[in-house]
Order: sequence, then C-alpha cells, then structure tokens
Amino acid sequence: MNHSLKIQLRNNEGAVLRALGLMERRGFMLESCTVSEAEGERRSMTVAVSSTRPGDLLKRQLERLHDVLQVELRAAVTNERKVPGLRPVTRRI
Amino acid sequence: MTGSAKKAEVLHSGSQTLIGALQRNGVKQVFGYPGGAIMPLYDALVGSDLEHYLCRHEQGAALAADAYGRITRKAGVCIATSGPGATNLVTGIANAFMDSVPMVIITGQVPTALQGTDAFQEVDIFGITLPIVKHSYILRDVADVDGVVDEAFQLAQGGRPGPVLIDFPKDIATAVTAQSRYVPEADYQAPILDVVAVQAATDMLSKARRPLIIAGGGIAISDSIRSFREFAARTGFPVAATLKGLGVLPTDDPGLVGMLGMHGNGAANHAVQNCDVLMVVGARFDDRVTGHLAQFAPSARVIHLDIDPAEISKLRKADISIIGELGPALDGIRLRGAASASWRAQCDAWKKEFAWRYDAPGDGIYAPGLLRELSLARKGKMTITCDVGQHQMFVAQHCHFEHPLDHISSGGLGTMGYGLPAAIGAKIARPDSTVVCVSGDGSIMMNIQELATLKRYGLSVKIVLLDNSALGLVRQWQEIFFQGNYSEVDLSDNPDFAAVAAAFGIASRTINRPAEVSGAIQWLLDQQGPALLHVPIDPLENVWPLVPPGAANHKMMKSK
Repeated sequence: MNHSLKIQLRNNEGAVLRALGLMERRGFMLESCTVSEAEGERRSMTVAVSSTRPGDLLKRQLERLHDVLQVELRAAVTNERKVPGLRPVTRRI
Repeated sequence: MTGSAKKAEVLHSGSQTLIGALQRNGVKQVFGYPGGAIMPLYDALVGSDLEHYLCRHEQGAALAADAYGRITRKAGVCIATSGPGATNLVTGIANAFMDSVPMVIITGQVPTALQGTDAFQEVDIFGITLPIVKHSYILRDVADVDGVVDEAFQLAQGGRPGPVLIDFPKDIATAVTAQSRYVPEADYQAPILDVVAVQAATDMLSKARRPLIIAGGGIAISDSIRSFREFAARTGFPVAATLKGLGVLPTDDPGLVGMLGMHGNGAANHAVQNCDVLMVVGARFDDRVTGHLAQFAPSARVIHLDIDPAEISKLRKADISIIGELGPALDGIRLRGAASASWRAQCDAWKKEFAWRYDAPGDGIYAPGLLRELSLARKGKMTITCDVGQHQMFVAQHCHFEHPLDHISSGGLGTMGYGLPAAIGAKIARPDSTVVCVSGDGSIMMNIQELATLKRYGLSVKIVLLDNSALGLVRQWQEIFFQGNYSEVDLSDNPDFAAVAAAFGIASRTINRPAEVSGAIQWLLDQQGPALLHVPIDPLENVWPLVPPGAANHKMMKSK
C-alpha cells in the first residue's frame, strides 16, 4: 500500500534525517522524497512510502516529533476503520 | 578595578550558562563522568550548587538518571564526554526512551571546527541517538544555550516524557556571551478532553458484562494514581496490571487480579482472555503483555486511554480512544453501575485457583518466598529496583507494592545492569525510602563497578543477589524451547560475590539454608550503609507460569 505525505518541518539541524529515519524504522519504505528549500524557519518535504501498515499511524508517529509541525496524508489508500476520538494534531510555531 | 560605578556587561561562558540553566530548571543533582571535551563544564561545576554524582561508567550515570527521573517525574540529568563517554550512555538513553522516562543528557563534543574530521574522541552522538530520543540538539551558538536547555526540559517532561540530548561542543562551552537569543517553542499543552469519546466510553462500559481494566505505567508517569484508584473503587471493575503498572493498586487490593502477560498470573491472563470490554489505561500492548496479538482478549471491545495519539491502534485496534491526561479522563467517566457480581466472583475464583504458593519442595532457599518476605518486612516506604531476568519476574510476581514508585524495573528495553545504578538514582531521589536492589549473578556483573559509587556516597542501598550460577532466563528458554541445548549460560565460575562486595568496603553476607532467610533479611535491613546479601539458589529453578512466545495468554505453561 502506498501513502503520500506532505510534511511541514522546522528548519532545524537533523529535522529531515529525523523524519526519514522514523519512517524506515516504523516499517514504511521510502519510494520518493522531495525536500523544499527552507522558507524562513520552516521547510516542507513530500514523500511517498510503501508499507503494509496504515498511513494514519505513520502520520501520528511523525506528529510526535518536535521538528514536525504538520503532516498531511494525501493519498492514503487504507482499509482502516475510523477510530473515534482521534483528531489531527497541529502545533503552534 | 577602578571602583567606578560603571556597570560592566556580565559575560558568562557557555558552561556557566548551561549550569545556570540546569538550576533554573530545578536541577539539584546530576550524574556523570568527566573527560576531555566536557572539561569546561566540569570546570564550571566546581563551586556551583549542583550536586554531582560520579558514577564509574557512563552507563551507570545514565541508568541512575533514569531511575531518578522515574521517581521525581522531573528530568534526570546525566553528563558525559564526547566519543566513548557518549556512546556508553546509549543503553541508558534507549532504556529511558522505551519506558517514557524524562531525561536530559549533556554530551561533550569536539570543537565545532574539528567536527567531521574524525577528531580524537569524536563521534556523531546526535546521529547515533536519533532513534532513541524524544528530541536532540547540537549547540551551535553560545547565545542558544539558555533557551535550548529550557526547551529540552519542557520536551523531556511534557506530554509523554522521554530523553532529550544536548550535544555541547567544547568551543561553545568556552565561548562567552551576555545574551540569550533562542526562544523555546515547546511549552506543552495537554490536549482538550474529547467529551464525545468520554461519553462513548461511559456508554460502552455501562453495558459491559465482563469489564476489565489494564493498568499501565502511564498512570504513575502522569501522576493519576488517585484518579485511577477512585475509578477502580467506584466501578468495581477488576484490574490487571502490566509490569510497569504494578503498585497502581496495592498488591493485596481485592480488585487486583494480578500482573498479566508472559510471566503474569493465571487469574489476570484468564480475565483478559474472557473480558468483553477492555479498558487500557496508559499501556501500549507490548508483546510481552499480549502474547499472540490476534488471540489477545478475543471477545473484547477496546477502550484505549493514552496521552500519545501514536499509541492508538498501533497494535490492537481501539474501538474508542481517549487521548489526553489520564486523570481528567478517568474522572470524566462517570458510571452509575458497577461490575456484575458474577464476573467479580469469577475473577475471585481465578485468583484463588492461581494464587502463588510458597510451599516449594527441596532444601534450598526459595527465591519467591524470600522476596515476598523481604517486601513485607518494610517499615514505611520501600523501593525495589531490579535487573533483568528470572529474578525480575520473581520480584514482579511476589513482592508487595503499595505504590508504583515501590517498583523500578527496566520494562521496554529489558536492560541487564539496570538494577544497581537504578538503586543509586532511587536512593538519591527518594532518600526517605528503604531502597533494595534485587539482582542476579548475570546482571550484577554488567554494572558491578557502581558498588564503588554506593561506597563513595555512603548510599544505603540493600542488594539481594540471587545467584543461580547461570543466565537463568536464557537457560530456562534453552531447556524448554531449544531441547536443553545449553549454549553459553553457565556461570558456575562466578566470583565470590560477598568477597567482591567486601573489597569495595560494603558489608556482605552469604546464606545457603531456608532457616537463615528471616535473620538475613533483618540483618540486611538493619545495616546503616550499603550492604549485599548473597543468596545461592537452585540453578534449575524456573519462572512459572510462562506463555510461550507466539501463544495466546491463556495457554500458560506451568511447573511440572
């Protein structure tokens, strides 16, 4: 199953590595990755990953990172049931 | 000095600023070990109000800081130099990460200009620890020191706690500044309680016929013990505890069915396999808890309470999730009905059927009986730290706990060598408590050097060393799952542990007969300073029950 995510990051040292490392460790294989130039204190990254695991789980795992400001799950083709009580996490910058 | 009234700008070095920032964040005690790249910080430490505990290996410092953080719920601080000093911390950092322990780690680093040149004692500790920290920094400007330290503490302690590393290059430590420019951005705000989910959980629980609560480590981490106990008393729902949830209810509480999982109690494992609504509070469905996941609590709908959204449906699908602080969530579930009498009676019957027995045959000392007696001999608070292996499971199964802080154990990582440094951190964090370290003959050797730390600071830690002349849990698995093909588990050439302790200047004693147990426990607890009780036990003793890997929790193997 493929997932596409757009990730807003703080422009901190190691932020891109941290996000990419998490994906691989959590069982999501990186298919492609585009990292934008920094715009002030943030930058964005678009990735495609493949995994048997649900994309919304990866989204929530990425959102735990301090360097990650926002994650948009774009093409999640999951068969997951919706879990009541789960809401998107957004952070102040 | 001219004596003029002209005010000079006060300049502080990076090291002085960092120490000031630690103190501003409430730090009084730190654990560490000096070395080349961190020398400017150790220079500034002299004359500061910080109490520094010199451990004898950086891993000891990290694990002591871990236990200190568990008990105080404030970040434990450990300090090491670059290179090998930093890599020696790694096990301790991973231990804190797996068990959600607040910790701030300061590592020395070679000067900025030398980074990336394979300089002496250079290692990329920032890169090495990326998978096992909640966050990390490399300080690049002395004006960032203040703000980065503040943010590190906010991150380590906010929400689900964890370790935060600050890599501190030598040139930043010696540079001077009067400014602080970094503005912390991590001030943690708890999520707003989802009242719809709370209502849904209330409805589901009120219709449950066989409800069960799993109490996890998150209850102690979030200091929600009072709310949890009230909830359990109000509803009468039976409670099973994970390893880290032990003590959330006192061991003798009638509502506690016991610890569940691989070495859990039969009552708890049967209750979880038969419940129809499972409310999981601050736990994460570890494989040691669930056994074969697909067969875990097969007829239950699941309500999952956790501060961390990423734990919801990670392993077991939640039917209802409540994300946020556990205390307010538990307080918010107002139930009118209580658990059905027949379900309570069933759980009580299982408790009776699977109650631990202490009438072991044989002439040797029975470790579970000794541990139970030891924990019941408490006068006031008692904290038991342990290492990893059979003795760790004996502690979890047989010791009496009044509070989660009574039991400090390496859960997620399963770190042999945790017990002794953890006892050091525990004694410093909880000085009014009797601190006992239960260890094994394999584990104690992993951080035996910390006996010197006990002696140096006169820390009154009581060590019970259960010695079965083997790596007991591995030996047990080789006996059961590898057809008795024993491979590298024999430790029958162990040193004389009582003599080892004596060489460190620590009181010690060896006992061999059951009749000596009560007197020896009294002797141990009566010692003024640190002491070690060496207890040789049956090398063939196993931990029962045992859920074989890959089996469902009710398929427990028992003693023959």
